Amino acid sequence: MSSFTECIARLEGADETERTYAAEDLGYLNVPEGIPALLERLAVEPSLAVRDAIFQALIRSDGDAPIEGCVGLLASDDPQIRNQAVDVLRRRGAPSIPFLHTAMRGGDKDIRKLVLDVLSGIQAGDTAALYAAALSDKDPNVVITAVENLGRIRAVQFRSRIEDLLQAGTHPMLMAACVEALVGIGQEASLAAIRRCFPDLATLPDFFLVSCLKAIAAFGTAGDFAEVAGLLPVRGPHLRPAILGALLAIHPRCLSTDAVTGLLPALQATVEDGDPPLCRYQATRVLGLCAAHDDVHAFLVSCLSSAERLVRLGAAESLRASGRPELEPLLAARALEESDEEVLQALGC
Amino acid sequence: MPDLSVEQFQRLSQQIYQRLGLHFDDKKLYFLKTRVARRMAALGLEDPKDYVFLVSCADPEGVEMQALANLITTNETYMFREYEQLQAFANHCLPEVLSAKQARGEKKLRIWSAGCSSGEEPYTLAMILQEVFPQAQMWDCQIVATDIDEGMLRRVVAARYGCRSVGDVPSEYREKYLIDDGEGYVVRRRTAALVQALHLNLHDRMAMRAMRGFDFIFCRNVLIYFDDLSRKAVVDHFYNALNPGGYVFLGHSESVGRVTTAFKLKRFDTHLVYVKE
Repeated sequence: MSSFTECIARLEGADETERTYAAEDLGYLNVPEGIPALLERLAVEPSLAVRDAIFQALIRSDGDAPIEGCVGLLASDDPQIRNQAVDVLRRRGAPSIPFLHTAMRGGDKDIRKLVLDVLSGIQAGDTAALYAAALSDKDPNVVITAVENLGRIRAVQFRSRIEDLLQAGTHPMLMAACVEALVGIGQEASLAAIRRCFPDLATLPDFFLVSCLKAIAAFGTAGDFAEVAGLLPVRGPHLRPAILGALLAIHPRCLSTDAVTGLLPALQATVEDGDPPLCRYQATRVLGLCAAHDDVHAFLVSCLSSAERLVRLGAAESLRASGRPELEPLLAARALEESDEEVLQALGC
Repeated sequence: MPDLSVEQFQRLSQQIYQRLGLHFDDKKLYFLKTRVARRMAALGLEDPKDYVFLVSCADPEGVEMQALANLITTNETYMFREYEQLQAFANHCLPEVLSAKQARGEKKLRIWSAGCSSGEEPYTLAMILQEVFPQAQMWDCQIVATDIDEGMLRRVVAARYGCRSVGDVPSEYREKYLIDDGEGYVVRRRTAALVQALHLNLHDRMAMRAMRGFDFIFCRNVLIYFDDLSRKAVVDHFYNALNPGGYVFLGHSESVGRVTTAFKLKRFDTHLVYVKE
């Protein structure tokens, strides 16, 4: 193990590897005097490998100095340094929070946004005051980032504030972020607030529809099922994954298949030529909701021979879920021709 | 089985990539679904949404991610595993490094198989090296096979393998480099002589610093079991252990770029590899 003075000397050396080791050793020595030296070196260090080692040393070092240093680095012109500083602050966790308050109060909009990026990776400590400040920020990007974070951490206490921001409708990106955050927060009552903003799904711009469908997927009921099903034939193919995803999510809550039966041609067409392949998988799963119908059942059986493995997988899962007694020999026979391990598992063989 | 929606699958895959560096594409939908179902049953969760939240936002120590990692990764090792990556090594990286050395008049090549387990990987590399570069015998070529488990290193030294280990060895390689003695396969002496077994803990930074001057490092499907900080420390050591122009190979679905920015990403046909400039 090198002494502190040796490490400082090696940190200024010409050899990249030696500088890396010096930074690493300073991290393990974990002495407060090492932090200014590491931060000073960072300002002039050309090697990404050495910079990485300096940040690792800052993570390993105790005390407030590395945190203060990294809060200062949020103002760096170099994006790599900013990102690494965010990473260090996240790893330091709750002890970073008091310093983030200062940065939130005094920093420009980019720093305030980076403070929220740090918060998104901290899963402890009292961050409510920081988020409350961010939701009232004058910069929309800061507000959007705060809303996104709050949705991710299911911050129920901010639900009504986010619903208010949605109703205010000041910025399309913010509105979409609010909808997604409300989905994350997971309160059924939010659906009413969302639908007040977006009453007509059929004419809703694509940008909002995708977010709205997520909300309906999370909280919707039988009435919503029929409305969403009605979108499939009239909205563009690029929206199919969101529409099909919503139908599959709502179904366990309403158990209605009436709306699906009217969609059979559209669903079958999606299975046959949908893009991306995951959308074809979803369509076979939606068809599975009415696999009791003989024609749907027959179609799903034919899907077991599809060249697209996700279609075979979806069909196998749908047929299995239908529980029709005559299926066993059919699935067993199909398994003899199937080579994909996962489809075989879904066939139950 | 709880029905993980396509959106939840995508969110979970994104988390797995960010935390473990493992890429799960659409082809792995069912695979991931079944593993998540097992974890949900173990945790008593009923809604996949809650599982995705747990992994994404309520797992600061990475405990659940590690439990999931244990289910979605495999400890199984066999020769010529992840063949495409070996093709990139054999067809592009190795010839490039060899010609640069020849141009400089050097005759030394060093490869490190880090976390080599029972030795299938280093012997695979030895076979490829002899195949691609028959002059290897006249060079100072060394494949250093390290592992923390001394029991595994004894198996490396024994160089004897069962059918499962050699199942993917191309038949022409099997005839040339392995001997079927009726009870298993033994690596031929000339090939085995290229491999040197060495005890090494990848967490031992002083021992890691002694590992220098390598042209290739293979550390496939090992770092996924490490936490972020340790993984980064190990990859930083790999950087220092490599000669300029040297390559590092992690598992085919693990990303070096996610761990460090020090290496340069290079493309050979469809292969992406990481090189120290």
